[in-house]
Amino acid sequence: MKKILAITMALCLMLLVFAGCGGQQTDDPAAPGTDAVKIVLLINGTLGDKSFFDSAKNGMDLIKEKYGDKVETQTVEMTYDATKWTPALIEFSEDPDTDIIISGTWQMVDRVIEVAPDYPEKKYIVYDAEVDYSSGDYSNVYSITYKQNEASFLAGAASALVSKTNVFGFVGGMDNVTINDFLVGLIAGAQYVKPEMRFTTAYIGNFDDAVKAKEITLSQINNQNADIVYGCAGQAGLGSIEAAAEQGVYALGGDADQAMLFKGVDDAKASCIITSILKRVDNSLLRAVTASMEGTLEWGTTGSFGLSDESVGLAENEYYEAILTADQRAQVEEIKQKIISGEIEVPTALGRDTQEVKDYIDAAA
Amino acid sequence: MPDILRTVFSVDFVYSALRLTTPVLFAALGSLVADRAGVINIGLEGIMLFSALTGVLGSAYSGSLFVGMLCALVTGMCIALLMAYFSLQMKADIVLTGVAMNLVASGGTVFILYSVCGDKSVSTSLTSMVFPTVDIPVLGDIPVLGDILSGHNVLTYLSLLAVAAVWLFLEKSKPGLRIRAVGENDRAASSVGIHVRRVRYGALLLSGALASFGGMFLSMGMLTYFSKNMTAGRGYIALAAQALGNGSALGTFLSSLVFGCAEALSVSLQGVGLPPQFVQMVPYVATILGLVLYAALRKKNRPVRKHKKRKRGSTT
Repeated sequence: MKKILAITMALCLMLLVFAGCGGQQTDDPAAPGTDAVKIVLLINGTLGDKSFFDSAKNGMDLIKEKYGDKVETQTVEMTYDATKWTPALIEFSEDPDTDIIISGTWQMVDRVIEVAPDYPEKKYIVYDAEVDYSSGDYSNVYSITYKQNEASFLAGAASALVSKTNVFGFVGGMDNVTINDFLVGLIAGAQYVKPEMRFTTAYIGNFDDAVKAKEITLSQINNQNADIVYGCAGQAGLGSIEAAAEQGVYALGGDADQAMLFKGVDDAKASCIITSILKRVDNSLLRAVTASMEGTLEWGTTGSFGLSDESVGLAENEYYEAILTADQRAQVEEIKQKIISGEIEVPTALGRDTQEVKDYIDAAA
Repeated sequence: MPDILRTVFSVDFVYSALRLTTPVLFAALGSLVADRAGVINIGLEGIMLFSALTGVLGSAYSGSLFVGMLCALVTGMCIALLMAYFSLQMKADIVLTGVAMNLVASGGTVFILYSVCGDKSVSTSLTSMVFPTVDIPVLGDIPVLGDILSGHNVLTYLSLLAVAAVWLFLEKSKPGLRIRAVGENDRAASSVGIHVRRVRYGALLLSGALASFGGMFLSMGMLTYFSKNMTAGRGYIALAAQALGNGSALGTFLSSLVFGCAEALSVSLQGVGLPPQFVQMVPYVATILGLVLYAALRKKNRPVRKHKKRKRGSTT
């Protein structure tokens, strides 16, 4: 009896699944309820990370501020449960009111290109990742990538200027392309100023374990003699800053201005952060949506945003000004102008062979 | 190769290994007490995470380290109590209860953090009190040994004391004897008038208290803030360490130390140019090797304790 019931239920479920697949795109979407362009930001995590996702949310606020009633914005936190991401994407694609769906990170790319071709009348913006346009017709998807290597180049240069031991301790969350792009930029920038700068590199294996980040950084400071460190590992990276503050060496912050996190709460930590490598997701989203509203955005292509668009940069706060001398800051500014003008070409890990990148990193060890 | 050896035999390495052992050791001792009473406390990870958070919140808002410690301790014991209630009173499966607690902790701590200070990942907007480090007077002056053993966090020393305390408690005290009796054979224990459920309640509470110190060490010793999922699997590693320890406090300490060394190794080996993916494997490979070794040893010697098979009603 139970078996029959189980089989019946399984069949029902399968039917439902198939019915669900066939049920999309039956007729034209209903006319939008309002004239406002509805933009939805799908966050594959939660807000409050003080950097990446919060910056994207800020971008939505900037868009709303700029266009007011002409747009309707909505931000959805899909949480870190990856099984919810595709359904949410489909749900908002089905919604006839939605015009533009924005989502970021490499984990969302595969999901977006799976869904986007089914809804040609919707537009999709993917940030911090690139769609492989040669693999299909994704003419309604726009990708945004960041030249984090440019900002890293500047940060590397600034680090080299303050370093006395000429050893940089780098702790990455994972050994992946984006993290290594930061590292490649740092190396290039530091060695541009001081060719003798060495980099000791380690990876945590996740973006959560701040304890391990701290332990690795301590080891880099005590055993490898590093006097400037960077934890490029999301929230775990704060562990590196803590180690630096404890040992009295300098640190870099990442994604958001991390000195401001500690200002007034823990000045010892704030004052050891010489600067932060900023990824201005907000500015890039505003740019993309503005172009879209003006009809100049080239859908089906990738836009790469860097120093010249103020989509990446350094946090030039009071600590930066206190730690670096006016001369040193001028030197960094000069390098910045050279990058913008194209005089300095910054190497990148994006789109390069893994082994080639590894060799580059090893050469600086 | 000489690089690796120099790293492993350095003072910093042993020092760092002891520091990384501390949270695992506390949790493993907690697991040991519960296990000897015949209940498996899978919820260590969750208990540590909750305690790490409430310790920071308590100490930040009261401005007192002691209050923070009390908050964390009470939280750890409350969660253990909740698990005990569900599994012992309501007869839910203890393993499932523990897993559920871990899942609740991973989201629940973020929820609490957000409702209290509006952050969803780290508690850096609060100034948490931190357990101090201690320089041991005479020992600290001995060249190498002093560098390794002195200057640790007070909780690291407490964890070492806890090893002795747990050993004394389990092997030499009356409640310890009861716990062991219940764990060996609950029916026999019951037949001589031991209140089995009450003993298990007590064991789980103690287990929660011990694990909460592990959580405190993470957020108020090693680091000075709470960060989401900061336990990063240490509660599970503690379970393995306890299993390896063969049911004794000293064994649990030694196996925790092995894990501490493995983790320290995974930190320092990266400095000598081994591939990071390989190095990150080290603690987990150590776990598997340890368990295999344990199984082999058990097969050779007579099993210390026989686990009775639980009868289940047929489902058809």
